[in-house]
Amino acid sequence: MSKLLIPLLALAPAFAQDPRQIILEVQKRQHSDSQRYEGTLEVISQGNQVATKRWTYQRIGSFGNSKAILRFTAPAEVKGVGLLIVNHPDRASDQWMWRPAIGRDQRIALQDRSTRFFGTDFSFEDLEERDVDQYDYKLLADEGATWKIESRPRKSSQYAYSYFWIKKDNYTFVRIEAYSKKGLVRTIDYKDQEQIQGIWTARVTEVYDVARKSRTILKYEKLDYNLPMKDDDFTLQALRREL
Amino acid sequence: MTIASVLLTVLAAQSFEQRGFVENRTTAYPQTAPNDSGHVVDEILVREDASYKLTPWLTVNGGFDARMDSHRQTAREWVLNADDRSIPRPPFSLRRLSATMHRGRVTAEIGRQLIRWGKTDILNPTDRFAPRDYLSSVVDADFLGVSAARVTYESGGETIDLVWQPWFTPSRTPLLNQRWTVVPPQAAGVNVVDAGARYPGGSQYGARWNHIGAGYEYSLCFFDGFQNLPSFDVLFSPMTQTAALTRVYPQLRLYGGDAAVPLRWLTLKGEAAYFTSSTPGAEEYALYVIQLERQVKEWSFAGGYAGSAVTREAANPLQFAPDRGFAKSFVGRAGLTIDANRDLAIESAVRAGGSFVRFEYSQLFGQHWRATGGIAWIRGDMADFLGQYRRNSYGSLAIRYSF
Repeated sequence: MSKLLIPLLALAPAFAQDPRQIILEVQKRQHSDSQRYEGTLEVISQGNQVATKRWTYQRIGSFGNSKAILRFTAPAEVKGVGLLIVNHPDRASDQWMWRPAIGRDQRIALQDRSTRFFGTDFSFEDLEERDVDQYDYKLLADEGATWKIESRPRKSSQYAYSYFWIKKDNYTFVRIEAYSKKGLVRTIDYKDQEQIQGIWTARVTEVYDVARKSRTILKYEKLDYNLPMKDDDFTLQALRREL
Repeated sequence: MTIASVLLTVLAAQSFEQRGFVENRTTAYPQTAPNDSGHVVDEILVREDASYKLTPWLTVNGGFDARMDSHRQTAREWVLNADDRSIPRPPFSLRRLSATMHRGRVTAEIGRQLIRWGKTDILNPTDRFAPRDYLSSVVDADFLGVSAARVTYESGGETIDLVWQPWFTPSRTPLLNQRWTVVPPQAAGVNVVDAGARYPGGSQYGARWNHIGAGYEYSLCFFDGFQNLPSFDVLFSPMTQTAALTRVYPQLRLYGGDAAVPLRWLTLKGEAAYFTSSTPGAEEYALYVIQLERQVKEWSFAGGYAGSAVTREAANPLQFAPDRGFAKSFVGRAGLTIDANRDLAIESAVRAGGSFVRFEYSQLFGQHWRATGGIAWIRGDMADFLGQYRRNSYGSLAIRYSF
């Protein structure tokens, strides 16, 4: 072992115990310049009624400073409905929804981001990315295979705080519990993790809306990273261009 | 070899997208009208929209309607109508047939297309390239396509939109012998005849600049063209007691703007336009809308006031003007998403002399079927724009299969 590695290894555990550094490491390991997938969503209501939706998702840019377009492909009546998300490192994202049936886009105001997105259990806020510097972190527990970290948003959010569970071996999210001042609002579980193009990726995300007792299971298909994409395809004009 | 590789590249980039629906809508009117004894109207509409991406920068778009109804609102002819100027609805019409090209920050669409301007939801004074089909309902009108060339330049938060419309497309008005045309009591005993329309010959153009800031956005726009809502020229024959009505469309120039500003609890939206006209005797006026909206959990609310101010009175009082008819109204809309499949909506407009309220319940069945049931209640004085339709309260049921 080289002399250089010895102090680095000695530092590693202490370094890893800093929750902000853990989150930074998560972002670093999941970094990609672009991402594309086709998602199948099953929205399961309290009465076990299942509604199935599909969307395509494309993102360009690095985490927290990216642009994404999400477009429904099913059911037939919402085909073409799109959402443009422009994430900013220093503030909440800008979001616009496009409804081709009426030919209008609608800006989603910040105070409306806690609303569920198109009947799913995701809120508009859940679809945005916020940079690591928009939160304060606290390491709550070392639970063997995972760290439990508390995050508190520095800027406006529907959530007062959240708990993250992060796997130690591959620095991926396992679970998020998101709380308002009144209590638990939403849980998000990341399942079926596998390496895609060297990036550990959950193939299934399950969101549970505590108040509605409703679940949305998002399955990722045809997921690729680092595809060639252009900035011009992530603008309001691009959102309107598609059918 | 080079040609083959270019062709392969083009073919690989091609993609076809489509969506459409078949809808049967039944509307029941408990009351008859003086010019319409029908109680039930059934309409069938097939709508198909498709796009074909030939290259990454070129897409061809098509939109097609086929329709029929039980009340002679649709012409009984087997002709494809490409300009949507007919007095009755055409059985087959092109809503869209256009090519969209984009390169860098510029997007151009040429051909028949839908163009929407404005930010408010209840009434859009600046939405001048969007004629509507009021034939079977003044309170629930669909949009018509226009033949135009549109070039949009987008850079960061700035967007400039230039539109040139060489052929005029009017809004479609209610048929004279049906309930959504209310013949004034003074014309009782007069035989009212539809003498068609005199369409203006020139082109229309407009420009809009939109600015997106951190959380807010606003735009300014200009339009020079024609009013797509008609005034009526009357030719009265005392011998036969016949009044022949011809639709005419005054010249119109618009200076307008709109803005959306999120406040702490609500989003404030406003839209205003001032209309002038070089046509002698045509009205000059301003329309404005102030609207507040908010989403709270599964509820969405939008409410506000639509106002108007006339700066030059019209010499011709015979006009079909739902945009001004809905002005001087308090308007509101509330929607509830019950779950992933069920929605509820309430919409209302209240004026000094008339009011309108509509309830709608909608449910999706499986992946394709949706049923929407509604009740609309209209009340008011005969002298009021809304109140004159007080015999047109209705219940409706629409069954839609989307594909």
